[in-house]
Amino acid sequence: MDFTFNADQQLLRDSARAFLDAHCGSALVRALWDDPRGESEAMWKDMAQLGWLGLSLPDTVGGSALGLVETAIVLEELGRAAYPGPYFPTVLAATALNEAGSPAQKHRWLGAIATGGARGTIAFLDTDCSWDPGAVATRATPAARGWTLSGTKRFVPWAHVADVLLVPAQSPDGLSLYLIEPSAPGLGLGALQGMDLGTRWMTLTLDDVPVGDDAIVGARGQGGPLLEKLLRRGAVGAAAEMLGAARRCLDMSVAYAKVREQFGQPIGAFQAIRHKCADMLVEVENAHAATYYAAWAIDAGAPDAMTAASVAKAYVGDAARQVCGEAIQVHGGIGFTWEYDLHLYVKRAKALETMYGDAGYHREMIVRHVTS
Amino acid sequence: MDLTYSPEDLEFRERTRRWFQANTPRQELKSLEERRSWHRTLYEAGYVGMGWPREYGGRDATPMQQAIVADEMARVSAPPTINGLGIGIVGPTIIVHGTEAQKRRYLRKILSAEELWCQLYSEPNAGSDLASLRTRAEDKGDHFEVTGQKIWTSGGLVADWGLLLARTDPRVPKHKGISCFLISTRQPGVEVRPLRQITGGAEFAEVFMTQARVEKSDLIGRLGQGWEIAQTTLSYERGGNSLARVTRYAMAFRQLVEEARVLRRSGRPLLEEPVVRDRLGRMYAELEVQRYAALRVLSALEQGGSPGPASSLTKLSYSEFEKRFYETALEILGPYGQATAGLPASLTFPVVGSSGHGDTWAYAFLWSRAGTIYSGSSEIQKNVIGERVLGLPKEPRADRVKA
Repeated sequence: MDFTFNADQQLLRDSARAFLDAHCGSALVRALWDDPRGESEAMWKDMAQLGWLGLSLPDTVGGSALGLVETAIVLEELGRAAYPGPYFPTVLAATALNEAGSPAQKHRWLGAIATGGARGTIAFLDTDCSWDPGAVATRATPAARGWTLSGTKRFVPWAHVADVLLVPAQSPDGLSLYLIEPSAPGLGLGALQGMDLGTRWMTLTLDDVPVGDDAIVGARGQGGPLLEKLLRRGAVGAAAEMLGAARRCLDMSVAYAKVREQFGQPIGAFQAIRHKCADMLVEVENAHAATYYAAWAIDAGAPDAMTAASVAKAYVGDAARQVCGEAIQVHGGIGFTWEYDLHLYVKRAKALETMYGDAGYHREMIVRHVTS
Repeated sequence: MDLTYSPEDLEFRERTRRWFQANTPRQELKSLEERRSWHRTLYEAGYVGMGWPREYGGRDATPMQQAIVADEMARVSAPPTINGLGIGIVGPTIIVHGTEAQKRRYLRKILSAEELWCQLYSEPNAGSDLASLRTRAEDKGDHFEVTGQKIWTSGGLVADWGLLLARTDPRVPKHKGISCFLISTRQPGVEVRPLRQITGGAEFAEVFMTQARVEKSDLIGRLGQGWEIAQTTLSYERGGNSLARVTRYAMAFRQLVEEARVLRRSGRPLLEEPVVRDRLGRMYAELEVQRYAALRVLSALEQGGSPGPASSLTKLSYSEFEKRFYETALEILGPYGQATAGLPASLTFPVVGSSGHGDTWAYAFLWSRAGTIYSGSSEIQKNVIGERVLGLPKEPRADRVKA
């Protein structure tokens, strides 16, 4: 029984934190918030160099063949830095291709992604924003040569910089994931601005977008289980990133409570503040346990992996909301300003709360698993 | 990270499970003698005082082995050992701070439950601020004479002996004037009265000492060292109950789900109500997180670490969780959750509460209120976390100004 990171995992975390402290400070994050593209090409190349983009891909395509635990370690640090960019959507799209893609699809994309030459994303949501694969409303209609896709996808992360888009659609054969390139005719992109300017969402409109049979990822009509698998990994990844953002909020709160004085003493000496910080720490440590348990369970193929992923997303979402909210309260007025950095992390956690299934969705998943 | 149990631990669990399946009493143990006899059976099988060093009759068991035994006992709702405080707190205190003569005199009889022990710490005016205790122990030359009142004495009604904190020097700062003693509670100067709790039961007692006698040889450590000894005593919690606690929550959760299938509201089972499902999902997520956190504690102990002040996080987290857990159960069940008698058998479910014995939801709910008060209230734990884990400044304290 070892719940601690091994030496390599420790090293990965330390190097990720050192890199992001040096190259992804709040000044850069703020600059990217104002940037139309929203991410840094230089940082992307660095991330490829560091091996982060191929972390869980096989070594045959230049990856490191590591697990979700390692990906979670990187994501926690990215959340801690409120990193703006398509890292996780790309990793998740690569996972889909690696798990289910054809040899040609893998050959075309995996090496390119691992080396920083391509970005990807998955369009999980239709307009009703249901995470249930059965609720996908976008349609794939058989055409003379393959299919045409029609529908509207919302809240697709970083679609405007993606070189490859994975689009779930219902066909007469069932649900399939279709691989689309941004140049496809009939594909429209519109920006959807949220409160976290470090998360860029797009609306994807598909108007009879033609795709070939070779665009299907995995077995035709069998996209449901693949989508669920990706959703679970997405849930754990989002939990890791929220954990990082929440820990940053806690660290900032504790540091501030030590130096901010009112009534002649640091506010951290008052139980009203100290007890809030203690509660926040409990939530952050529990969130850590939930996140890494789930990541490990998926890597190890543990029988409770499915439930653990839902537990992680539901628990960490609630925990991050509490911790980030209390962080603003501990800071008082300065925590409500745009100039102070706290809101960068608060907003990152907030955006992820709704992604890959919100807490309510995952609580329902849990009840289904444990009462069936 | 590797959250699998080692082959040795799995083998140990298997062996333990078989033993408890074969030996756990089928009927509830009523009399003290029945419970003492079960304790002796456990002792002879090596399941009592497992964490104690071998030279004192223990097994040098790892924290994981201790956790596994408690967990297996929880699974079959085995009755607990009878001398929990003696084995968990008094014995280890004597092992660390006692004289050779004290060890020879007391340890063996603690393990065998020949002598039952209680802890005489809390007083009516010394709860969270334990160091302000007023019970006096006066040096009478050949013995000490003790006068004062103790409260919340767990097991006080059956105990033969108590581990006592009493003030021996009222002139020095409060933490420095306390000493630690072993006192017989079977003597004329000691009166024990049951203390009835909100549950209706009386697991605790009030203990009144009037010129009670303590032998000179029953002082633990030095005069004035009592507070220091009590502090180390409090950190003997070694994760032994960590898995068992979660197993009991999980058993209670399964009961709740079964009840939600049976009970109907507005023409359908409670289990089909979206609000109920959301609450159940939250309960299960939280109880699983308690399990992960328990594994994390055991992992730290296995790596040879001591949880230290971080154990305050664990205690705060599980005791607050437990209150929410039983509160939510009662919300879901409505008045059925409060019923303690009179329902048809088909609607009567035995519930496992944190006290370990099967009872009603009402009892488990009420009992859950104790956890955030005893062994350092949640507010005390938050102070410890704030000061010793997060490094926040100490609050100004009136009683420290002159110290």
